[in-house]
Amino acid sequence: MLTDHEKDIMDVCGQVGAILLTSGAEIQRVEQTVEYIGRAAGLPLNCYVTVTAVFVSVNELAATMTFKTKLGGFNLQKVDEINQVSRLFTEKKIDFDTLKSRVSQIDKKVIDFNWPTKILGAGLVSVAPMFVFKATWGDLGLAFFIGIFGYLAAQFFGHHKVFPYLPELVGGFVIALLAIFTVKLGIGINSSQMIVSALMPLVPGVAITNSLREITSGELISGTLRAVDAILVAAAIGGGVLLATSIMIGIGNM
Amino acid sequence: MQLTFMKLLIEFIISFVSTVGFGIITNVPRRSLLPGGITGAVAWTAYVILNNISGTLFMPNMVAAVIIGILGNLFAILYKVPVNMIYVPSLVSLVPGGIIYEAMRSFAQQHVNSTLEYLMSTLIVAMALTAGFFVSEWLFRAIRIRMRQLEIKERANK
Repeated sequence: MLTDHEKDIMDVCGQVGAILLTSGAEIQRVEQTVEYIGRAAGLPLNCYVTVTAVFVSVNELAATMTFKTKLGGFNLQKVDEINQVSRLFTEKKIDFDTLKSRVSQIDKKVIDFNWPTKILGAGLVSVAPMFVFKATWGDLGLAFFIGIFGYLAAQFFGHHKVFPYLPELVGGFVIALLAIFTVKLGIGINSSQMIVSALMPLVPGVAITNSLREITSGELISGTLRAVDAILVAAAIGGGVLLATSIMIGIGNM
Repeated sequence: MQLTFMKLLIEFIISFVSTVGFGIITNVPRRSLLPGGITGAVAWTAYVILNNISGTLFMPNMVAAVIIGILGNLFAILYKVPVNMIYVPSLVSLVPGGIIYEAMRSFAQQHVNSTLEYLMSTLIVAMALTAGFFVSEWLFRAIRIRMRQLEIKERANK
C-alpha cells in the first residue's frame, strides 16, 4: 500500500505535469521534470504524458494516478516558474513541503503582463512582417487595431470556456467584419491582406511547427493530436472569416 | 524586389517588434523578451534575404530555423532561460499560421487546387523549420559537450 507521503509525492508530481502541459511545455520536458522531482523526493516514478492527460505511476508499488487536462495555449511564465522550483528541489535547496506549497501557489496565480501591455502586444503581432512592402502602410496600421479587437474578442470567449473553438471563430469573425468594414468606408484598401495580418495572434502557426517537431522527436501521439487541434483551430478561424464575409456581402446586396 | 539597407532595417525592426509582441501574449518570462526579439528579427531578416535570392520556401525557412536554434541556445545560456521561451516567440514571423488559415478557408469554399497548394506550403514551411532545428540542435550539442569539458578542466585547475 501507498503511504500518505508517497501519495503526496505522486499528487504533487501530477500537478506539476498538468501545469506544465496546459502552459505549453514540450512533452519530453514535462515527463523529464516530473521524473526528476519524483527521484529527488525518493520515489522513482514513471511519467507518461499525452496532450490530454498526465499519468504518474510507481511500478514497484503498482500504483498509478491520472490527471486529466485540456489542451491549453501558451503561458510560458508558468513553465519557467515551475522549472525554477523543480531545479531548486532537485538541488536540495528547498524541501518537499516548500515545493508543494510553491507548486499550488503557481497553479493559482502567476505573474502576467497587465492588460494594456497584452493589448499592445496583440497589436504589434498583428502587423505581420510578411506583409511589409506588400500591403500599404495604412492597411498595416489598420491591422494593428483590428488585430487588437479580434484578440480581445477571442480572449473574452476563451475566458468563459463555453464551446471549444468558439474563441477562434469569434476572433476570425470580428477581424473579417472590421477589415471589410474599413474597406467599405474607404479607409482600408486590401481587406484580405488586412485579415491575414490581423489574424496573426490567433492563428496556430507555432502549434503546427511544434507538433511536427514533437512527431519527429518520437512523441507520435501528442504530436498528431496537436496537429489535429491546430487544423481545427485554423478551420474555426476560417469559418468565422467566411461567416463575416458572407454577411457583409448580404448587406451589400440589400 | 530590390533589397536596400533601409528596407532590411525596416524588416528587422518590424519583426523584432512582432516577436516581442508575441512574447507578451504568450507570457514569456520578462528576461527573455529582448533576446527573443533579437533572435526573431535576425532570423526573419535572413529569411527575407534568402527568399529574395532563391524565391523558394524550404531553404530560407530552414536557415532561419538554424539561426533561431543557435542564437536561442546561446541566449538561453546567457540569460538563464529555457530555450523554448526564445523559440516560441521568435518563430512567430516564420511560422505557417496564415497559410494554414488560408488552406482551411479555401477548403470551406471548395477551392480544391488552392486548398492543396496552401496545405503543401504549410507542410513545407513546418518541415523546413523542423529540419533547421535538427541541424542547430546537432551543432549545438557539439558546442555544449565542448563547454562542459572546459568547465571540468577549469574546476580541476582550481
